[in-house]
Amino acid sequence: MLKFLRKNGPGYLFLVPWFIGFIALALGPILVSLYLAFTKYDIFSPPEWIGLENFEFMFLYDDRFLNSLQVTFTFVFLSVPGKLVFALIVAMVLDKGIRGIGFYRALFYLPSILGGSIAVAILWRQLFDYDGIVNAVLAKVGIQGPYWLNDPDYALYTLIILAMWQFGSPMLIFLAGLRSISPELYEAAEMDGTSKFKQFYAITIPLLAPVIFFNLVLQMIDAFKTFSSAFVISGGSGAPVDSLNFITLYLYNEAFTFFRMGYASALAWVLLVIIAIFTGIAFYSSRYWVYYENERD
Amino acid sequence: MTMNRRKFLATTAATTGAAALSSVGTVALAQDRQIRHFWWGNPERDRRTFGVIDVFNGKHDDIEVIGETLGFGDYFQKLTTQVAGGNMPDVIQQGYGIIFEYIERGAILPLDEFVGNTLDVSNMDQSALDAGTFNGQLYAISIGANSHMALYNTEMYAAAGISAGDGFDPFGWTYDDVKRIGVEVAAANEGKYGTDDNTGNYQNFSDYIAQNGVEMFNADGEYQVTAELVIAWWELWKDIREAGATPAGKASAGLVANPPMAEWGVVSGNTATSYVWSNQLVGAQALVEAKLGAAMFPNTPAMVPGSVVQPSQFVCLTRDTVDAEAATTYMSAFVNDPDMTDILGLERGIPANSVARAALQSKLSESEAASVAFFDGIRGKTAQLPPPAPSGANEIEQTFQRAATGVLLDQDSIAESAANFVRQAAFIRRRAG
Repeated sequence: MLKFLRKNGPGYLFLVPWFIGFIALALGPILVSLYLAFTKYDIFSPPEWIGLENFEFMFLYDDRFLNSLQVTFTFVFLSVPGKLVFALIVAMVLDKGIRGIGFYRALFYLPSILGGSIAVAILWRQLFDYDGIVNAVLAKVGIQGPYWLNDPDYALYTLIILAMWQFGSPMLIFLAGLRSISPELYEAAEMDGTSKFKQFYAITIPLLAPVIFFNLVLQMIDAFKTFSSAFVISGGSGAPVDSLNFITLYLYNEAFTFFRMGYASALAWVLLVIIAIFTGIAFYSSRYWVYYENERD
Repeated sequence: MTMNRRKFLATTAATTGAAALSSVGTVALAQDRQIRHFWWGNPERDRRTFGVIDVFNGKHDDIEVIGETLGFGDYFQKLTTQVAGGNMPDVIQQGYGIIFEYIERGAILPLDEFVGNTLDVSNMDQSALDAGTFNGQLYAISIGANSHMALYNTEMYAAAGISAGDGFDPFGWTYDDVKRIGVEVAAANEGKYGTDDNTGNYQNFSDYIAQNGVEMFNADGEYQVTAELVIAWWELWKDIREAGATPAGKASAGLVANPPMAEWGVVSGNTATSYVWSNQLVGAQALVEAKLGAAMFPNTPAMVPGSVVQPSQFVCLTRDTVDAEAATTYMSAFVNDPDMTDILGLERGIPANSVARAALQSKLSESEAASVAFFDGIRGKTAQLPPPAPSGANEIEQTFQRAATGVLLDQDSIAESAANFVRQAAFIRRRAG
């Protein structure tokens, strides 16, 4: 023991601030929220243990929760593939060795830096306003645009487009992945007279699979946690008619507007379990479509 | 001496500070009683309130007030986190619609023990004191009276040949008048509309309920509004909308949930009439070139009063206060000190202190004078202030707005939406109770 301390003590000592931060600001609150998920807690008075009642209500009676799941899933399943496809296409174009690639890379990455910010969400509101730029452009080609943000049929799609526009970070990762594919493979394929399309799905996709998988998991988790853009565009309430009521937004309002901190904690844990399940599915499925170069089969 | 965490920290900080200061030979200032005042506002209100704080701090060497402000949309969420953290400011602003939830849960302290000592309420209107009294105890000091007000663009009305007294009674118009005038104003102003669409305006709906002789909540806190009443309300506005007096339903759907002032029809210029609160006249007029007129909310031909005069805002003492005496001294000055009430003016509504009100009379701006005239006009035409809304009222309002948005978008049938809303409202009350 003493020996261990003498050897590693200074190292742990340096880690102490981090441990304190982690326990006080992350682990502690997480555990408290797990406890609160089984209580009725209105913030003003002490929490009161109610067992599984929150979860029972959530799955059996709470239509708004079920709707928020639908909104969140729709968003994740449309925005993530869309974003990845878009990022891959742009990465492949940039990989062709365009002059000034550094400039374009920075340019395309820019939306990702700005993307989560309040300012961009406000900008989005203006773009998709009924008198906004999008409808003005549509009018030029003779289409009368809808009330994007007032109409539950369209509102979610404006957010999906916003998410897809922030394709910068998966694009950079794809670009790095593409660079690491050996050009000899393409040269050999070229000599055998393989079409560009076949090269794409027989060389690029399989060799890029680990990178695609990495991007998929990361982007999916991110998409499940979408909050600030929905908050700003819906004015904080998930309007119109709950069509932007993401589960994150719903639990925020349950906690801070309606004083149901216990129920909101239960919602947060359900979100965690959902993310865990989908990440698990992605990892499980990866056995069948992701191959690493150093593997042999 | 009992010590809580805050006191401990404050004392430690003060001791350390004093030690540090004395070591360099400086005398510590006597401002050791710090209190915080938190309100929701707008730039104009913030300017005036910080001005008041400066005056107060200048007059009280031993007390230092620190002001904190946010927009209305964020105010209560910040306050909620402060409640949870046990660090609410000493003095907070509250509204009549939500204050009861805070009192019921013990977040706000009764003021009775300070009255006559640090807190002077001798010049306050009895009605204002009554409005701040709950379960027989005084919890809240009114800092301005308010009522529902329809703001109309006098120039757009004039273009249709309509003015107060000429085809239009601002203190006794009906929903039929709204439709008739709305259509005429729309016809006279190319591309504009006569009135906002109140399908989702819960304030106007609450007037309508009272106008039909129904109390929103009974003594047991049950929601009394029937589906028939909701249907009648939505049909009434559908009729006005289809006559062409309002913008298309889809356009109005984006304005249902308390839009910011700049998006109101009468401020953006898209419509000629918006339905708001009387203390917003001053702020709205500052954004609109045309002169704005003030009218009551419309009524049915039976003219049963629906609007009430209520405190627009209160100042309250929180349970997290570090110095209740300093805080109540400040609250008292906020409504009594003529140098301070002078700066505040009518921005938060008509003052409930009769002396302060009289002192302001001669210094009113045009729009402030219009507010005062409006309050003269509605005298005798308002209903009695109902008891404060029970927990869940705020959630019922949001549920109503959601249902109304579906109606405006023509996605749900009116009958079905109304039945759903009434069912949900009853459920919200059961869950909150």
